[in-house]
Amino acid sequence: MSPVTIQHDCAREGAIALTPIACKVLSVSQETADVKAFRIQALDGTKPFECRPGQTAMLSVIPYGECMFCVSAQGQDYLEFTVKEVGYVTEKLHALSPGDTVGLRGPYGNWFPTEELKGKDVLFVGGGIGLAPLRSLLTYLLDHREDYGRIDLVYSGSTPDDLIFLDDITNVWPQLPDVHCHVSIYKPCEGWEGEVCYTAPFLEQLKLSQDNRVVVLCGGPSLFRTCREMLVGLGFAEEDIITTLEMKMKCGIGKCGRCNIGSLYICLDGPVFTLAELNKIPGSLH
Amino acid sequence: MSTLTKDQLPQLLAALSESATVYVPAEIDGISKFAPYGSAGTGEPRFDLVNTMLPPKDLLFPQSEKMYRYGIDAEGQPFINSICESTDVVLFGIRPCDVRSIECMDDVFLTKGFADENYQARRQHLLTVAIGCTAPAETCFCDSMGLSPVQAPAADILLNETADGRAWQITAQTEKGQQALAAAGFSADSSESTAAEVSCSLKVNTQGLAAKLDAMYDHPLWEQTARKCLTCGTCTYVCPTCHCFDISQENRMREGTRFRSWDSCMFFAYTEMAGNHNPRADKMPRVRQRFLHKLCFFEQRYGKTLCVGCGRCVEKCPVALDITVLIDQLNAAEPVQPAGEGE
Ligand code: SF4
Ligand code: SF4
Ligand code: FES
Repeated sequence: MSPVTIQHDCAREGAIALTPIACKVLSVSQETADVKAFRIQALDGTKPFECRPGQTAMLSVIPYGECMFCVSAQGQDYLEFTVKEVGYVTEKLHALSPGDTVGLRGPYGNWFPTEELKGKDVLFVGGGIGLAPLRSLLTYLLDHREDYGRIDLVYSGSTPDDLIFLDDITNVWPQLPDVHCHVSIYKPCEGWEGEVCYTAPFLEQLKLSQDNRVVVLCGGPSLFRTCREMLVGLGFAEEDIITTLEMKMKCGIGKCGRCNIGSLYICLDGPVFTLAELNKIPGSLH
Repeated sequence: MSTLTKDQLPQLLAALSESATVYVPAEIDGISKFAPYGSAGTGEPRFDLVNTMLPPKDLLFPQSEKMYRYGIDAEGQPFINSICESTDVVLFGIRPCDVRSIECMDDVFLTKGFADENYQARRQHLLTVAIGCTAPAETCFCDSMGLSPVQAPAADILLNETADGRAWQITAQTEKGQQALAAAGFSADSSESTAAEVSCSLKVNTQGLAAKLDAMYDHPLWEQTARKCLTCGTCTYVCPTCHCFDISQENRMREGTRFRSWDSCMFFAYTEMAGNHNPRADKMPRVRQRFLHKLCFFEQRYGKTLCVGCGRCVEKCPVALDITVLIDQLNAAEPVQPAGEGE
């Protein structure tokens, strides 16, 4: 199998640079106690801009500030952002209701290699909020189902209450042809009949062959470390393990300097990298 | 050879001032910087200063700059309006190192897919008149960074003192420079300035440095270097090439302004993310980032070193953390690859 190559330096004509456009909140869904998914639409009812799975955008809660998020899914007339409440701006964002105004600029960064994945089996591995970036690609593959092979999702959270998009995972996606969702929680919990297992050992149990299969991995630092070690141990090539990097961002267009790692700017050149690439970038895996 | 005698200088400055604000080196309250010619407080231009204490970068990239206004209008409709102000500016008496720093900032703000509108507008309205250096300061080392004290290829106009010291050889290096001089009633050479080469006494060796640094990310020298740094950020504020910025806002009732302001990779909060995660929480990674960005990463990305040898940080660092000494140490260091990394 030829290794996956990912495009970088994807700054695109037509992307909105620093001044956002005014948009509105179309709908809000409470995913967990501290995670909400927002659908955002331009004021005229259209999709704010086209973007590809994995790309990011700067969502601005007027007047409190702005934050960079991956676009977790998109529809005909909206972009979806899945946001965990972790600080000042996300707290203000969580207070928004449908109809409220927000600012939006983007799209920024590179994207998952949707062309290169054609014909391949794809294994998604994520934990907690890490499903958000995975979801952008997963929903894209589901929209173009015939182009891709078997899809597996290995997803976990501390408790059942930490799992986002639970309805999709338990009811919708498993009904689709050759889509397999493997869900676990970390600690036993009353009423939970599924797996209780950390993500890395869960991966080991599943015994999915690395043959013609590419892995897309997103999660917090410890999940990311244990899973990438497990996957490499299971024989997956580092070129076939794709992930997204997180870094503080302010401008999103490669100017403010903040997201610089080595000679790269994560906002422009990332966030999507293969593990093989990250191994060559000083400081990216720390 | 076309010359501008020193007596003619006020005439040229006056002519240029007719259609633009002309900034000249000045010393105000003990701080030297570029200030508007002819305005109260600026005083006589100080062309005797080799380098101003503050670099001229704020004319292109102000220390604080409004980007857009937003709010809810009288009809209850949301609005977001960008603010992009710029007027014609002449930077008169800029030194070759600072001209080079503008080239570095051009790379950052104008290339790689996105042109920064505010920077671009200011840049298009800028005319640079460089003055070559006859007596570099003790802390100058531009000729070790691939520049020359008497050449500034990116300047619109270059002035180099003639042998008798009473005039400058005047060279128009761009069409814009040519036109500005013609409009002011002066003629200029269009071929390269023939000034005799001048050399800095402070030297460093940067041969192969970027490539060597590429393998020195985990070198113990960084810990040693960082030990005395106060992370005060002085070095980044006085540096003509440092260009990091922060974005924040100021709100009043139903309206607000979002603006950017200079920031520094030396500060803890620079990389602190929501949820308290900070990849550069310690001093060492921040100090390392500053020097690697200048001497290695920028070179890899844009093909230039992000240090122009102006010597300002050497002069102003309160604990004498001297980039030229560090470069010597880096050259002398044995490269080490820590266990467990590399191929
Ligand atoms: S000026 Fe000196 S002490 Fe201050 S941050 Fe820079 S290197 Fe450190
Ligand atoms: S790093 Fe120091 S010497 Fe180099 S350009 Fe910046 S202020 Fe000047
Ligand atoms: S966020 Fe500003 S350079 Fe990447």
